[in-house]
Amino acid sequence: MIRGFNRRWRALAAWPRPRGGTRYSACHFCDTLHEVETVAEGDAARCTRCGAVLYQNRRASLTRAAAFSLAALLAMVVMHSFPFLVMDAASLRRNLTLFGAAWSLSQEGMPELGLAVIVFTVIAPFVLAGGMLYVTMPLIFGRSMPHARMVAKWMYMSEPWNMAEVFLLGVLVSLLKIAKLADVEFGIGFWACGVVMVCMAAAVAGIDREELWDRLEVAET
Amino acid sequence: MSRGFTKASSLGLASCHVCHLVSPVAEGHCPRCGTAIHLRKPASIQKTVALMVAAAALYIPSHLLPVLTTVELGEVTHNTIVGGMLSFWRSGAYPIAIVIFTASILIPLLKIFALTWLCLAATGRIRPSPEFLGKIYWMTELMGRWSMVDIFVVGILVSVVQLGNYMSITPQPGAIAFAGVVILTMFSAMSFEPRLLWDQLDEECALGEETVNATET
Repeated sequence: MIRGFNRRWRALAAWPRPRGGTRYSACHFCDTLHEVETVAEGDAARCTRCGAVLYQNRRASLTRAAAFSLAALLAMVVMHSFPFLVMDAASLRRNLTLFGAAWSLSQEGMPELGLAVIVFTVIAPFVLAGGMLYVTMPLIFGRSMPHARMVAKWMYMSEPWNMAEVFLLGVLVSLLKIAKLADVEFGIGFWACGVVMVCMAAAVAGIDREELWDRLEVAET
Repeated sequence: MSRGFTKASSLGLASCHVCHLVSPVAEGHCPRCGTAIHLRKPASIQKTVALMVAAAALYIPSHLLPVLTTVELGEVTHNTIVGGMLSFWRSGAYPIAIVIFTASILIPLLKIFALTWLCLAATGRIRPSPEFLGKIYWMTELMGRWSMVDIFVVGILVSVVQLGNYMSITPQPGAIAFAGVVILTMFSAMSFEPRLLWDQLDEECALGEETVNATET
């Protein structure tokens, strides 16, 4: 029982320091070496030479990251279940979904583009939100799931390829293109994609990379 | 050297790209997340230039070839990215024309120029301030993805506008070339090593101090 209490306490305490003496942080621009010091919640540590942010201690980092990634995953389910655009033209009704767009591209002889659409708008966002939830949710209770390090690594590698917001802009441009030809309106999928975009940004910005890895290290020992 | 600042690389320490842990580079892999660690990304300038040149080469066909073909009542029209933008401009949809112009014409070009400039600065051929270049680098990493919007538009139109004999839209090779431009510039920006900019500055400072010492003695 004492052990469980300790774990809980450790998780709620701000940004634990992994054991093993002084830690260092190197600036990503000028490579200047700094000793890692604790910063207050809401504050950031900056490089003494070039001023770039080294790490930030975010407020309520774990709970925010977990909550927003869960919200993003739920919105993703909605996004895939409903169309982005609904078009009525010449007594035909056509719906736009992400899988539909990728499928049409590959049917029209461009499977590479279909694959790119799926990777950038379905797989990368899923890996990012799912990975974030998988890693941060157990960390709230001071625990870690099997292979959490590998998942966290994949999550951060998928980050630059997540293009949900770009797809949203694409839907907007397409709507304006089609509006002259037919009656088009936004479906629920479009709004859900907007929610995915906001929640994903909030989840990634919610916890500093270094804090997530430090907490993971502490939880695993 | 760099007046009181210690570089991680001068102690043989490297920061992991994925988890940011600083550890001795001699270990080869980050002890925390297992990613390969290097003092500097290996052959960073070569990779950046190679990918950037490939992107610049693809940029030409991506704008000369049509990205999609519209068949409306038997009448076939080939549409390029620039053509699509101009038709928006003519119909008075200025904001959307500007968005397309920025995302598909300006951003890839700016990215190619910015990367060229960064590579020149990192090899010491030009000498702008590293702080400023750091911001440029950060921008190139952030902006590149937005160019993908045209590919998504092609995918969306191809999927939605399939109205049998009345009207249909098919993708064309220009779209593949353009997707290539976007993906190659993204990889190019990722393989660039921003720390080289500061290394260059330190080297020049060291050289400057040496010449000062030499003239004093």
